[in-house]
Amino acid sequence: MYEPPFTRDRAANERLEARECDACGWVSFPEYREICKRCGNVGEWTATELEEHGTVQSYVVQQRLPDEFETPLPLAIMDVPQVSGGEPARVYGLFTETDPETIEIGMEAEADFRRVFDVDGLPIHSFKFKRPRGDRL
Amino acid sequence: MSRDVAVVGAGMINFGELFDQSFDDMAEQAYLNALDDVDKGIDADDIDAAWFGTLDIAGNASSGLGLSHPTGFFEKPVTRVENACATGSTAFRSAVEAVRAGSTDVALVLGAEKMRDSAGGLIEGAALDQVWRGRGVTMPAFFGLRATRHMEEYGTTREQIAEVSVKNHENGSKYPHAHYRFTCDVEDVVDSPQVTYPLNLYDCCPVTDGAAANIIVSEDVVEEYTDDPVWVAGSGLATDTFERGKDESLVGFPATSQAAEQAYDQADIGPEDIGVAEVHDCFTITELVTYEDLGFCEKGEGGDWVEAGHPHLDGDKPVNPSGGLLAKGHPIGATGVAQVNEIYEQLRGEAGDVQVENDPEYGLQHNIGIGRNATGSVSCINILSKERP
Repeated sequence: MYEPPFTRDRAANERLEARECDACGWVSFPEYREICKRCGNVGEWTATELEEHGTVQSYVVQQRLPDEFETPLPLAIMDVPQVSGGEPARVYGLFTETDPETIEIGMEAEADFRRVFDVDGLPIHSFKFKRPRGDRL
Repeated sequence: MSRDVAVVGAGMINFGELFDQSFDDMAEQAYLNALDDVDKGIDADDIDAAWFGTLDIAGNASSGLGLSHPTGFFEKPVTRVENACATGSTAFRSAVEAVRAGSTDVALVLGAEKMRDSAGGLIEGAALDQVWRGRGVTMPAFFGLRATRHMEEYGTTREQIAEVSVKNHENGSKYPHAHYRFTCDVEDVVDSPQVTYPLNLYDCCPVTDGAAANIIVSEDVVEEYTDDPVWVAGSGLATDTFERGKDESLVGFPATSQAAEQAYDQADIGPEDIGVAEVHDCFTITELVTYEDLGFCEKGEGGDWVEAGHPHLDGDKPVNPSGGLLAKGHPIGATGVAQVNEIYEQLRGEAGDVQVENDPEYGLQHNIGIGRNATGSVSCINILSKERP
């Protein structure tokens, strides 16, 4: 079993490793680009890590999905902060263990390390989001 | 020297679930209809080159040969164009650029898509293997994310979003080529089954087969084909992604504003000059935010704008007189070409029961698509004009 794409992505998927553009502060995640997608600056980056939580920027609750997914499946655009401060990364976040009715824009959510899916039996691990435990309804 | 470009013929087939027609059957008929539409007639041999828009959903048109076989157009340049849901409009734009540049005098643009031969539709389009960048992101989710945020940030109501569907189905009921010919009211939309909160079934375009074609020519030969051409005044094409961190991309699509700016600049006009538009309403919310991204109204005012009737057939800036993707259907490669055709007919005053009454000088056509990294969008815009630019 050998799945090159997922091997390449492990630092981001499993350890939330990212890079910050020295020129404009944009966070490259989950990719490791040389070229900044925002300002175009090339090759000047500082290694950074993301926090295991984020803020909901918008969300939907998916009722119809391919067989691989449980429904309803809440999905959000999340701002995930850097451990060292600066700008957050803006990424998709899949939710789990959260009543869809309780999700709101602006809500803080925890990122939990989970088995996200399998590729031909090989488990791919990364983070899913949920309402913080103390705040569960 | 850059040359002016005119549309001189437009044809399409009736969109729908066309189980009795093959991809080639559809493409052939759209092509013949476009040839038939040319006022002074056209000989197929006059066509110098062709641009072919398709996503090849059904897997039988992956090169220019997909156009050659049904049309008999061999031995000449055929360029296959794919640009997500902006495929048709990008094919048109590419043909226009070649005619402008002088390498082609008469060009064929043909878009076609066989959507219903596979059953999955838009839901099956969800990426399965993309961590952080789109695993489980269906089309309704991608666009629905803008709806949730738009409602929160601007107070847009669920009912205002539904107004887009009501309007477009009303128009579609009068449009002979539309897939759906029924009408509905706001309650029907709000009460229809939930697909992806906050969007319901009647917020979504259907899965539709179809084909459309048009003929464009340079200023040097236009008089051979018609005395009533419609001119291409401007065009724009841009990409953007929410990963870049602009908050505008949470409530709309910056790529649309960027493409619009290019097209308005080229045409030397502003949004206030547009008299009629065919825009990408794959979902109700897509059309609502597109009003804003195109500058038809201020950011955040799309809900009020549609509720007040501005984009209605009898409004001051009719949008999607053909019923749009919501009623007419969205056979991806054909969609943008059919939109251009509708603007062409509107500007010529030949749009029949959906003819707008505000005597437009300029008409705008717009598509938006998303890619495999489902964070971004590609927008293509073409502006046509009654008068030569």
